[in-house]
Parts: sequence; structure tokens; C-alpha cells
Amino acid sequence: MFVLHGLCMADGRLALWAEDSQPTERAPTTPTQAPTAAHDQATSATPGEATSDAPDQAIHSTPDQGVLDTPDLIGLGTSAHATSGAPTQPDLGTPDQGVLGTPAQAASGTPDQPDLGTPDQPDLGTSRLGASGTPSRDAVGTTATPDHDTPRGLRQEAFNPLGREPSDTAERSPSALLNRSARGTSTRVVFDTSDRDPSTSPRQKASGSTGEAASGTAGRNVAGTPSQAASDTAHRTATDTLDSAAADTLGTAAAAAHPFAVGGDVLVELLGGGKADTVVVRLPSYSSAPAASPELVRGSLTVEPALEGALRLRGWVVPVVVVDVLPESVVDCRTGASLRYLVDVAEFARDLVARGRVLPSVDSEAPVARWVPALSGVDSVRFASLREAMPPVCRGAEGVGSPEAALRGVLHVLLDNEVRGALRGVGSLTRGRTPVDLWLRALVGEPVFEADAVDLVELRAKLGAWRASAERENAVRVCFRLSSPDQGGFANEGWRLEFLLQAVDEPSVVVLAEQVWRDDGVLWRWVDHPQEVLLADLGRASRLYPELDVALRERHPTRLDLDAAGAYEFLTRAALLAQAGFGVLLPTWWREPRRLGLRLTTTTAKRGDPGVVESESKLGLKALVGYRWDLALGEELLTEEELAELAAAKMPLVKVRGQWVHVDQQRLTAGLAFLKRGGTGRMPAEQVLLQSWSEEADDGLPLPVTGVHGDGWLGDLLSGEAEQRLELVEPPAGLHATLRPYQVRGLAWLAFLDELGLGACLADDMGLGKTVQLLALEVWKRQDGKRAPTLVVCPMSVVGNWQREASRFAPGLDVHVHHGADRLSGAELRATVAAHDLVITTYAIATRDALPLAEVEWDRVVLDEAQNIKNASTRQSRAVRGFPARHRVVLTGTPVENRLAELWSLMDFANPGILATLNAFRARFAVPIERYRDEDAAVRLRKITRPFVLRRLKTDPRVITDLPDKLEMKQLCTLTTEQATLYRAVVNDMLERIEDAQGLQRKGMVIAGMSKLKQVCNHPAQLLGDGSRVAGRSGKVDRLEEVLEEIIADGDKVLCFTQFTRFGDMIVPHLAARFDTEVLFLHGGTPKGARDRMVERFQSATGPSIFVLSLKAGGTGLNLTAANHVIHLDRWWNPAVEDQATDRAFRIGQRNHVQVRKFVCIGTLEEKIDLMIEEKRSLAQLVVGAGENWLTELSTGQLRELLTLSPEAVGG
Amino acid sequence: MVEWHGVPRPAAHPVRIDGGLTLRSKRGEVAQTWWSRRFIEVLESFGMASRLERGRAYARTGQVISMSLSTSLVVALIAGTRPEPYRARIGVKKFNDEEWRRIERALASQAIFTAKLLAGEMPPEIEGVFTELDLTLFPETMRELSMDCTCPDWQAPCKHLAATCYLLAESFDTDPFEIFAWRGRSREELLENLRGLRGSLKAQEQRAEKPVVALEDCLDRYWEQPPAQTVPTPDLVVTHHPDALLDQVDPLPLEVRKRKVVDLLRPAYRAMVKGANRST
Repeated sequence: MFVLHGLCMADGRLALWAEDSQPTERAPTTPTQAPTAAHDQATSATPGEATSDAPDQAIHSTPDQGVLDTPDLIGLGTSAHATSGAPTQPDLGTPDQGVLGTPAQAASGTPDQPDLGTPDQPDLGTSRLGASGTPSRDAVGTTATPDHDTPRGLRQEAFNPLGREPSDTAERSPSALLNRSARGTSTRVVFDTSDRDPSTSPRQKASGSTGEAASGTAGRNVAGTPSQAASDTAHRTATDTLDSAAADTLGTAAAAAHPFAVGGDVLVELLGGGKADTVVVRLPSYSSAPAASPELVRGSLTVEPALEGALRLRGWVVPVVVVDVLPESVVDCRTGASLRYLVDVAEFARDLVARGRVLPSVDSEAPVARWVPALSGVDSVRFASLREAMPPVCRGAEGVGSPEAALRGVLHVLLDNEVRGALRGVGSLTRGRTPVDLWLRALVGEPVFEADAVDLVELRAKLGAWRASAERENAVRVCFRLSSPDQGGFANEGWRLEFLLQAVDEPSVVVLAEQVWRDDGVLWRWVDHPQEVLLADLGRASRLYPELDVALRERHPTRLDLDAAGAYEFLTRAALLAQAGFGVLLPTWWREPRRLGLRLTTTTAKRGDPGVVESESKLGLKALVGYRWDLALGEELLTEEELAELAAAKMPLVKVRGQWVHVDQQRLTAGLAFLKRGGTGRMPAEQVLLQSWSEEADDGLPLPVTGVHGDGWLGDLLSGEAEQRLELVEPPAGLHATLRPYQVRGLAWLAFLDELGLGACLADDMGLGKTVQLLALEVWKRQDGKRAPTLVVCPMSVVGNWQREASRFAPGLDVHVHHGADRLSGAELRATVAAHDLVITTYAIATRDALPLAEVEWDRVVLDEAQNIKNASTRQSRAVRGFPARHRVVLTGTPVENRLAELWSLMDFANPGILATLNAFRARFAVPIERYRDEDAAVRLRKITRPFVLRRLKTDPRVITDLPDKLEMKQLCTLTTEQATLYRAVVNDMLERIEDAQGLQRKGMVIAGMSKLKQVCNHPAQLLGDGSRVAGRSGKVDRLEEVLEEIIADGDKVLCFTQFTRFGDMIVPHLAARFDTEVLFLHGGTPKGARDRMVERFQSATGPSIFVLSLKAGGTGLNLTAANHVIHLDRWWNPAVEDQATDRAFRIGQRNHVQVRKFVCIGTLEEKIDLMIEEKRSLAQLVVGAGENWLTELSTGQLRELLTLSPEAVGG
Repeated sequence: MVEWHGVPRPAAHPVRIDGGLTLRSKRGEVAQTWWSRRFIEVLESFGMASRLERGRAYARTGQVISMSLSTSLVVALIAGTRPEPYRARIGVKKFNDEEWRRIERALASQAIFTAKLLAGEMPPEIEGVFTELDLTLFPETMRELSMDCTCPDWQAPCKHLAATCYLLAESFDTDPFEIFAWRGRSREELLENLRGLRGSLKAQEQRAEKPVVALEDCLDRYWEQPPAQTVPTPDLVVTHHPDALLDQVDPLPLEVRKRKVVDLLRPAYRAMVKGANRST
């Protein structure tokens, strides 16, 4: 797990660096560099050579020895070695040695965990060295060669007789990893040593283990002993000659290398580019190592190791990547406060540019054109606030001064970049050759320009004075408040524009000009001479609004009296004044104007109406409906008299129904003319749906459409309340499920849109049963006979769920899963697809097989977890768009209304063209809503989309009454190919062994085998215990991420129970990085105090939302009612134990409904035992009640049946 | 060539100097504002176009080494044809205390004067104020100005005085308070007196700046973002005027080929704001 941090550099640029929770074991997934000679030499250290050093000591561990975790052991697994295959490390036998408590170990990752290759992940090759071996004790070197055909856990190991100095043995250059993986070998050379000698100087440890973080060779050269370095060349893994530059830096700097910073190459990889460099960063440090950031998670041993000495500031050499622009997003990293802070600064820069608050300038030293911020008014306060909010670590880089200087530096760099990005493609501003011309050109193009010293000095001076005039900063500013005649109290008083002074940083402090003239000192906290600020600001404002001069004729101006025309004139200038930094307080009706527009009312023809032909009255988008246009103010229709009054008005501001509105006479005339030409008629229903989108000038309308209403089915659709109003559909007989009332309404809604051929977006909250509603729709649609097939596209992780739910709820549907390496193609695929009702495939396959799948005329295409196409330009989005279908449905549980680009993509899939092009959508909705918080645009967007979106929240009163307090569901997951291979190998191995075993020995083997299988189902790396990559290797973890994403998006909280502390150890850092959030972890080793603090924090509203607990430690005695989700990651097969854990969240007095998900891997022992329990619950409780012992009583034949993997178990 | 006492005049190549004061305007009119133009007009009303032209050229090429303004008197050193620079002096009658009292009372009677002056402008109405008081802010005739120069040219204004006048006009452009200072009231005095007339109290003592916290002193919160005040959200601004800032700042005294640089920048502002909003 990485934590990414940001730094301000002395030159104003930004640098990024990262801490690594497992600095020895991290391996990037793709190689970036070609092997060099040094690497060749290094990688030639094959297992054979390695073991030849100490052949006698090589041992072959059996799978049993490799993994000894039984559930009974797990809960107690507090020390690292207990959870990481202790038997492979015979010299680490005493508990104190297993604990990762010493600085050196903390600094160098987790040396207790042996490394192992995984057959299908050769690129994960890692090499790692522990911190040190003491002279008195032999260090252990293990060389593992995972055979591609043998089960994991089987490894060769070799003791290394060489005692090594820490500096000398540490060997874990990330770039070395890259190069090794480039050779496609899965060889890992592991020097597992343990540092138990307190006499080894911490300084040495720190520098030794770190050198590598920056570079292989470099670290050795700095801190290593030459003779020792030479003595173990045979074991040396890769060295990185490419990083010699970093080595120089290390060699010359007085500071030591940071022991757990991520290496430069890995950092470049992580950030997707840039150039690695090193910087000395001052960090709070103990005597031996820098303190870790609070975001860094180190598995179950999160308790900060007791480092020696007091904290003091000390410089460390840290690999960095210097950037001008912050990366868009870095996946699977936690971001430190410093980086989040810089993101805020970048956002500030972006906002300044978007509002044009920048000025051109010249660099203070070189002839370089620069754009700089023009900070005034609120912007200068935002700057000051950012300055105060700078985390100290941001200015940790050597040479960086005050927060003010650091912030100014990065803001200028970010802003200059932002401007140049926005100006991309803009032509030259001038053609001339004078120095000023060259400077102007450099503002848009290449920033460096030619100018002699004299010209430059002059240009700089003039621009400097000019810029100063923009930054005359005052802590108070003038505010203009416009009030209409009825607001003032005296009806005949007219419009007034009042002058006020406002404290910029405390906008609630507003002082009327009258009070300023009294000079009672109320603003002295902010300025010396408030009157002069008032006068100067009024003077400046009068440049933009010359009418102010009238008021300034007075000795003590307090306000400007206006008539309606004058008020309107001011309103048109208000934006300009606000942009210049003046406060403008406008009447609310101006902010949320009731626009003069057209309102469309439709009437659907009814059967039996005179003149209505039967076929026309049918539902459908082509059906003609009657319509009538009216002029309206907002949603309110205007009467004839009101219209006449408006038309006669001489002023643009008119009072209608007690409220002031702005009426543009020209547009009013045009609107009246439009109505005269033909305000009524008939149009197809689809056109009606599109009208609510119309802006003026569209479709020949003279005014914007302010409302669309109707009766009948079209009215239902337009109102967005179709779900409530529709006639219910009888759940079809073929559906083997009892739908909850809201699900019946959902079915009716889906069926309604299906009949209309309108795409539907079912966006119910998670857990409300979207799958079953869709299945009900399919059964309902198909009850009258065979139809073309429906294609369901979903993430790999839920294919099994679909399969199982379809067979359970809709056994009448013929389901085909199009997936896997041996999936059908060509004619065979066509024939098979045609013969089935439901075809399930994944997004990946849909993309890969886009062509054959696009040849099928689908009855319906359904996208599950449709947020997968949130980016409309990705290949998979384009692929699914290309599938022809009569009807389209998207299912998503994330709140789409807040993610506008995603909403567009989903809507455009369901109903192509309904939201126009993405660019038009951005201009009309995304930018106004997201940037300007334009409520009006948001309301319009809701109106347009509501006919097609059905979203019910689990908290809706209409839904909540239908739900049980505790909603339990199975979450079926598939295995990855890697998991399946591993699973089969473990099963074969176990069955082979128990063949001859008897009694207790057999019992132990079965228990151990079962435990291993459960671990495989969780994650390959859990069984392997090698600390290898977590992402993308387990169907269960993939599904967990999807579920957590929705939970977090909903702002909910979740408890995740596992019986394996080691699994928790793995996923906690992974999830923390994946969601960039704090993940709590409670296990058997958590001290009482820490445990109470975790519970307290989780229960608080602002606390972390994910809490991972080991079943043993967290199953009882805790009150965790803040959670409204419970996930059982693995099964205990003892309902009582699981229920007890579930009850942590579900307590009496719990106001939330609780959703409980039990993760089960399809086709594995997990599912099979689960089914046994379900089917014979009473019997099962009898036999299972005592634990898992009953399993050991099964015969080998029964076990084989129970454990053999079903074909559908494998996902991909 | 002008014969002078029968002796050919020495070649009129002035001594080149580095770092002299130069006019910001490189071509055309010097005075950018009505008030400085008013001053130039007086100068130009004397005829002698060629002399003024040479003076302007002097002011543009940086022959004026220094210029200082104090009550009644402007003194400038100008590099001429001789090695020693010439000293040009322009004197004006300062208003006496009684006159200033009347002026200040008049200025305090309408907020517009202080407002515009503080905003960097000379309010046009100000001439009316002085007329009412039988005074003139800008000297209207040569008689109100006394000029001398250490150059051998007997005519006033010589090109050195002309160069000084142009630079003076330009300094009036930048800061209208300069004219008052020349007439006997510095900016601070004037503002102070006006404040008194408005009835202001004395200012508070200076608010102390927050000291910068050293990194060593924040080890316990090194990684954290310190709590900061919540910042008011900026007013809803619709970007109808992407280049509005250019109109809010003081005029930029830069031109290329008779076009204001500010106007050349406008398209860049429009493109920038459009581009920045597109990318969101």
C-alpha cells in the first residue's frame, strides 16, 4: 500500500513522493525498462545457483507446512509469523522475534513473510532482503521456485550461511523488480533474515534498507561494506545502473535515504510519467527512522512500533517525481493530507483561470512570460485561508520557506500551466518583433522570449505596477445591496441601492455606510480607515458603473436611489461588479428568476374520443398527442390580462402576482406572435419528451420551455411519478419469487417503458433487488412466447450471481453464459444465443467480442453495474452502445444524479440522443451545475431525465415499510483462473494424502485442507502468504470493492467480518488505498484501548466508514450500530456465530435497516456447504453446531464430491 | 545649422546615459488622462513645436537622469551635449494654508473627490471646485510657471524643460495626488485633513502580522492540515466578461504599433475562460 504525498519545491514546482507500507515487497505490474547487463547478471542467480551455496540446508516444505492456519489459530494470530507460515522459518521460533516491533523491521517492511511466485503472475517477481542477520545467528536465505504445475506452498528453500550486514543485504530496488519481470521469470530470491541484534546501529539499518528505495547499487555503495558486498554477489539480485544519478545524490547529501519511501522508478510508473529525482525532505524522525504518516497502514500491526528517542526534525533523501500538473487520479493509493491540500490549491488555480482572475507577467529573473494570479476580494481571503491550512509536511523540502512563499510558488506554477492548457490552440496574439510583441507571443506559446536586459527591466517594472493595482488588497470591501420598493417599508420609496462594507473573511460582518460614516470603530479590527476603503471602492466601482457618480455627489453617500429602469441597469452590471471583487446582494427573485417562457400542455387521445382512430390511441412514442402552448412565468401560466399588462409595460422590471420579474419586451412580443401563429396542434409523443430539453432558438421556439405537462400516460411519464401512478402488472406465474410491493411497482414501470420502447435506468439503492425486478420483467415479457434473446452485460464478479438468481427466481428462462477462454464463437455462438432467453456476459468479453455480439438482434440489452460505462469514450462503452436492441435497460446502485458525465453516458446508452451530444450537455448542464451551482439547470435536468430514471432509496418511507429490518442476501462470487488452479491443486493434494491417513492425522489434514480452500476462495495471496499484489486476483475481493463503492457512495457504514486475521491484514491496506480512506481493523492483537477508540470513532458520524473485524475478536461484545451493512467475507458455517457478529450492527434501537451480505464463491466448497446448510437447516444445525468437525467425518468419496470445483466456478 | 556668434555650434549629440527616466509612451501623445493633458496643453500653448518635439524625444530616450517633486518645485537633471548634466527647474505657486483650508473644505463636501482620487483618478469636477475658489489647480498660463535651466539655450522652455514637463505629466497620470503635492499638500497630509473634516477618529495601531511557525515547532501535527477558517464562496459569477479584470486594473502603459497591449490581450482572456470552462 502506498501513501502519496505532495511537496512544495523551492522553485515553486510540485513534487510527489510516496511511502510504502511494504517497502520490500512492492512490485509494479508492468515492466518499463529493458534489462541491463547488471540485471542479466543478477537474474542469472537462478534457484539452482542459489541453493548450491548451501545445498545441505535446503528443505522442501510441504503445503501443510507452508500454510498452517487453521481457523482456531487465526484469531490469535497476533504476531506476524503466526500468520505467515512460521514453519518455513525455523529460526524465527520465539514469539518476540516474530513481532514486527523493531525500527529496522518496520522500516524494511515485513521480513517475516516469505516471498513466493504465483504461476500466472510471473510479472510479480519480487526480490527482497530482510534487514539484517546477526553474526551470532545464521540468516536464512530462501529461494523459492514455484513450479507452474505444482500446488503453491511447495517450495524450495535454502539457508544462507552468510551473516550479512543490513546495509549490505538489503536488496529490493523496485527497478530491479521491473527488470526481472521483463525477463518473464517468476524466480524470487528471498533473503529472509531477522535482525535481533540491538547493537546494530539504527543509522546503519536505516540507511541500508533505504538505499535501495532509491536505487539498487546506490544504496549499497553508500552504506555497504565493500568486502561484504563482494562476498555475496552470487545472491545479488538485480542492480539498477540506470539510477546512478540518484546514487550521486545520495552520495553527496548529508541526509540518509528514507527507509520506506517508494523508489523513483515505481513512482514514475505509479504516476504514469514524469522524471524521477531525489530531494531532501525534513520529516519528524526518531533516532533511527522517520515517523510514518498517519495514512500509512501496516496491516494488523498498525500500532506504531515503539521507536527510540524523541521526535525531531531530520532530513531524508526521498525519491520524488517533480510535476507541473497534478495527476488526474492515482489509483489504489491513499493520498496524504499534503496531496489533498495541493489538490485544493490546484482547484483554486483552476477556478481563478475559469473566472479570468489572472494577469500576464514576466519572471523575476529570466525573460520568461508567466501568468500570475490577480488576488483581490474573496480570492485573497481564499489565498490566506489556504496559507493557514498548509500541512507542515508540504514545506518539508529543503530550501522551502514560509507557507506564504511555498503557496505562492506552487500556485503560480499550477496557474501558469492551467492558463496555458486553456489557451491551447489559440493563435498568436501579435505578429510584431518588438520585445513587447515577443512577450505577448510567449504568453500563449513557448514561455521563453528574447529581450535585452534594459527592455526586460522596463517591462517588468510596468507590469509590476500594473499588477499591484489589481491586488490592492483590503480586508473589507464594498457591498451593493439592491432592494425593491416593497422591501423598504415605505411603499413609495422606489428602488434603492445601498452601500455597505463587508469583512471579506467574515462575510456576516456587514456594516451599513451610515454606520461607516459615524466611524464608530466597528471595522477597526480589519482596517484603519474604513471610510477611505468605502470611498476608494466606490471610486473604483464607478468605473464599471458610472451611475454611482450621482450618489458620490453627497458628502456621506449611503445609497443610490433608482427607478425600475435604473434597477434593471444595475442588475445587468451586477455580474461585472461581482467579478471585480465587489459584494453584490441581489433580491432572491433575481437569483432564481422566474423566466418568461413557453409551457406545453398535452392531452392524450382516449379510446372512444370522437375522431380518434383506434391505432392512434395506443401507447408509444410515435402516437400523436394534442398540445397547447402557453406563455408562462416559470411554471405559472399567465392570464390574458396579465399578458396585456406586461405588453403595455414600459419597464423591463414588472411586478406580477406580487413579485418582481424581468420581462424582455422583445421576447414577449415574439412569444405572443408565436402563440398567434399556432399555439395548438398535435405532435408525436417523442417530440413532447424532447421539448423539455429545448432552449430558445431550438425548433423555432422564440422562448425557452419552462414546463411540459400532460395527462394520461404521457403525463405520468413527464411527471416522473409513473411508478406511483401506473396500473400494476400481475407478477408472472413463471417467477419463483414473491416480489415486495415496491418491486411490483418497479416491474410495472419497467414494463411500461418496455412497451413504449423507452430505455430505462433502474437506479434503486443497493440491496433493493434490481436483479429480481429485471428477471421478473423478462419472465413477464416472455410469457406469451419465444422472443429474441436478452443480453445482460455485467462485471465478472456478479456473473455467478446472475446465473444463480436466474435459475432460482426464473427457472423457466434458458440462460447462457458467454464467458471464459473456451466461449463459443461464429455460427455456434449465433445458434446458441438464438436458442436462449438470457445471455450473460462481462464487460471485458462484450468489448472483445463486440463484433459477433453486435450481429445479434437483441430483444433487450441490460447493463448491470452500469457505472462501468460512466466514461462514454472507453472501448467498452462504445462496444455496448453498438449492440442493436429493441429495448435497453441500465441498472446501477450509485446515485447518478450527482455524477453528471456518468448520467449522460447512462442516459445516452438507454435512449441515444436524449441528452444531445456530450459537449452540448456539458455546456447546458454540467458546467452550470457543477461550476456555478446553477439550481435552475439542475431542475431542468431532473425534469428531462425523470421519465427514464427510477431510483428508490432504502430510506424512502414507501420502501422502508416493505423491507425487513434485516435484509440478508448471498453474494455469489466467481474465482479467478489463478484461484481455480490453486483450488484444484489443494484439493488433489489433500485427497491424495488422506487416502492413507487415519484418525487424528486424517482429521488434521482435512481441517487444514478446508482452511486452505477457504483462503484460496478469499485470495491467492492469503494462502501464499507472500504479500504479493492484492488487486485483480480474487473474484471475492473484486466484488467486495464494488459493494463497498456503493456503500461509500451512499454515505453508509459497513462492518466486514473475516475469520482470517491475515486476510484482514491484506485487504485493509488495499481497501485504504483503493478508496483513499481510513479503514479500521480490529483483530485479536488489538489492545483494549485501541479497540475502544476504534469503536468510538466508527460510531461517530464523521468517523471512518469501513471497519474490518476478525470474527473472533469482533464477533461479540461490541456495539457498532453506526453500521447499516454487514459483510461476511468468508463463512464459518455456523449460523449462530455469524448471527452473533451481525448483531454488532443490528441491535435493538438501531434505526437503520441492516443489509447483511454473505460472500460465497460459486461452485466451491463454500457454496456447497452453504447449500447443505440451507437444505437441511435443522440437521445442519445439529451437526454443524459444534463447528466444522463434522466435515472430518466425511468419507474421501464424499469429500471429493464436496470439494470438486464446478465448471461455473471460474470467472476469469 | 544655426550660427551662434559666428562660431559653428558643436555637433548636437547629447551624452548618452544608461538608466535614465523614460516616458512610458513611445509614440504620439504623452498624456493619457485628461488631467495630465491639461498640463501638457499649457506647455504646448506656447508654440515652439520643434523644441517641444525635441524635448519629448529626450524624455523618450532616457536623457532625464532624475526628477524630484516637492512643494512648488520640480527639479530634474538632464544629460545634454555637455558632460555635466543640466538642471531644469519648474516652479509653481503653492497654495497658502488659507487657500488649502478652503480647498479641503470644498473637497470634503462631496465624496466623489476622495473616492475618485483614491481610485487613481482625478475627478473632472475638481476644476469646478478650484474655479469657485478663484484658484486654478493646473497652471493655465506661462506666468504661473517659473522655469529655468542651466543649459545655454536662452529660451524657456528649452528642450530640457520640455522633457521634464512631459515626464511630470506622466507622473500625474500615474498618481493624481502628485499635482496636489506640487501645490503644497502631500497625499498623506491631504487625506489626513479630509479625514478630519469628515470627522474620523484616529486610526488604531497596526495589527500585528502572524509569525510563521517553524517546522520544528509543529512535529506533532506535521502531516495534518491545520484547521483554517471557512472561506466564503465567491459570488455567483457568470463569465459574461472574461476580460473584465483588464478593465478593473489601472491602465497598462504598454502599446505596440499604436494598439494598447491590453486590447491585444483580450482575445487571450476570452479563449482562456472558454477553454477552462470546457475542460471541466
